[in-house]
Amino acid sequence: MVVSPQEQRMRAPDPAHAGDFLGTGAGTPIQQSSLWRDAKRRYLRNKAAVVAASIFLIILAYCIIVPIISPYDPDEVNFDERFLPPSLEHPFGTDGFGRDLFTRVALGGRISIAIGFAATLAILVIGLTYGSISGFVGGWLDNAMMRFLDALYGLPYLPFAIITLAIVGTVNFWTMVIALSIASWFTAARIVRGQIITLKQNDYVRAATAVGARWFRILGRHLVPNTLGVLIIAIFLELPGVILGEAFLSFIGLGINPPDASWGSMAQEGRSVYRTHPILILIPSLAIATLVLSANFIADGLRDALDPRTKET
Amino acid sequence: MVGFIIRRLLWTIPVLLLVILMTFLMMRQIEGNPFRRSERAVSPAVQRNLERKFNLDEPWYVQYALYVKGVATGDLGPSLVLRNQSVNDIVKEHFPKSLELGFLAMLFAIVFGIPLGVIAALRPNTVFDYGAMFFANVGFAVPSFLIATLLIYFFALQWGDIFGLPTSGWSTPQSKILPVIALGLGPMAYFARLVRGTMLETLQQDYVRTARAKGLSSRRILFVHVLKNSLTPAVTAAGPLLGFLITGSFIIEFIFAIPGIGKYYITAVSARDYSVVMGLTVLLSVIVVLANMVVDILYGVLDPRTREART
Repeated sequence: MVVSPQEQRMRAPDPAHAGDFLGTGAGTPIQQSSLWRDAKRRYLRNKAAVVAASIFLIILAYCIIVPIISPYDPDEVNFDERFLPPSLEHPFGTDGFGRDLFTRVALGGRISIAIGFAATLAILVIGLTYGSISGFVGGWLDNAMMRFLDALYGLPYLPFAIITLAIVGTVNFWTMVIALSIASWFTAARIVRGQIITLKQNDYVRAATAVGARWFRILGRHLVPNTLGVLIIAIFLELPGVILGEAFLSFIGLGINPPDASWGSMAQEGRSVYRTHPILILIPSLAIATLVLSANFIADGLRDALDPRTKET
Repeated sequence: MVGFIIRRLLWTIPVLLLVILMTFLMMRQIEGNPFRRSERAVSPAVQRNLERKFNLDEPWYVQYALYVKGVATGDLGPSLVLRNQSVNDIVKEHFPKSLELGFLAMLFAIVFGIPLGVIAALRPNTVFDYGAMFFANVGFAVPSFLIATLLIYFFALQWGDIFGLPTSGWSTPQSKILPVIALGLGPMAYFARLVRGTMLETLQQDYVRTARAKGLSSRRILFVHVLKNSLTPAVTAAGPLLGFLITGSFIIEFIFAIPGIGKYYITAVSARDYSVVMGLTVLLSVIVVLANMVVDILYGVLDPRTREART
């Protein structure tokens, strides 16, 4: 497959992290950098994953750039231009208030994606903390913590998200993040714990223990950084669920309030006129679907690239 | 085997207590006493009586114990908003509809998802495979509210004359078709992907090659050897799928105006009927915990290797 140098740069592992492995630490640099280079090579070989990553980046760019360069004020009401069909001036048409949909979908995407990433980050932080404590300490504590997770396994997040929103009383960006992450971190914790347990058996960890490294150094230096791979995969595994969760909450009227809009709340607005103007629910929903689909394929590609031993079942 | 089942049954008890405790503690955090709202100004004496009637004057652990006792005896308490209605009445009225919706959606998912996965696995990397997997991926990514709206738009409105399907409701058999498809499409996609994956793996196994070498017909190999062993892992899918169905039913019942648990849950949250919200949350959680238990036991029976790994 031909990949332009520019594309290659775009998809290179994050330079901020690449540096981590090139700097200090005797013995490790060569092996680590080749791990990431191998991963990149394997990822780029996966056509579906490359296409998905491109679409993902295009959506991100669209959401960031369009509101800046758009000639339309996304909140300006213009009753002369209600429900215009798609045209050159308005690529997605206009909504019931005569607002340009192309601009508004980009703005809604900003909120949806921002909530998605923030909640995913929260899920990973909770999962990393819980999972690494459980996996690192081991013994009865590990047992108890995992039994606790087993107990919560499979609980539907939506009722708990709704209760959380009822507890905090207001709906805004941060309360949505809390509501969406509070009952969704179980899988992430399990993944991290599994990774830590596997890593603990490695010779270099035993060597570090043997030379007298203290527990926080082993955990912080050897174990947690090596979960980076599974965490990157986990970002794209968790993101779709969170973005759909936000959309569901907004759709049933318990999410982001007008005039702020997310893709979910825009779909809810569009829902009221779907008989006459189906495009108003179609476009925000398709935006969600495209983003979720590309995130799923990116996760698959990353899993094959970073963790070639595990196969999808 | 019996020991395994008994252990698993006993383990469910503390899990249920824990899940109810968590719901209980979360619900306590919600601001405001239902009887202290300004629009229902009552005298302090009445207030005290009300609090005593609903045990709100007891410490939280006593309330919790009383609540657990209620749940154990199948009594979820009274509704705080609807007079003369208990949470049990509400469950009795709305739950069967949700149960029917979920059951039919699951049936739809199994009947269409498993063949889709089998076809994809038998012709890997062909048009069939790509088509089935594209369909499966899309089915899992498109939000259910779009699927539902599109189904209504086309089959109830645009082509309404041909199909004659209603846009909402849950009274006639015709009205159940669209909600069931809308809810079942995601699980169907999940089944298709899962069956395809496990089947591709099973096809590589030595015993399949042996069966082929023995000269068994490919149909016999497929049904007797491959399919049976490929479907065992699909049992574990029941856990995540149940969560998916519950979440999905909230949306689908909302859109199709089906008077089920999900729709009522949203109504109860808006009405601040917290005893109903709590009762329904506990009910859904108990269902999930019990389903996990059944899946674990079933899996232990089907695949003895997992008996020790799982409690």
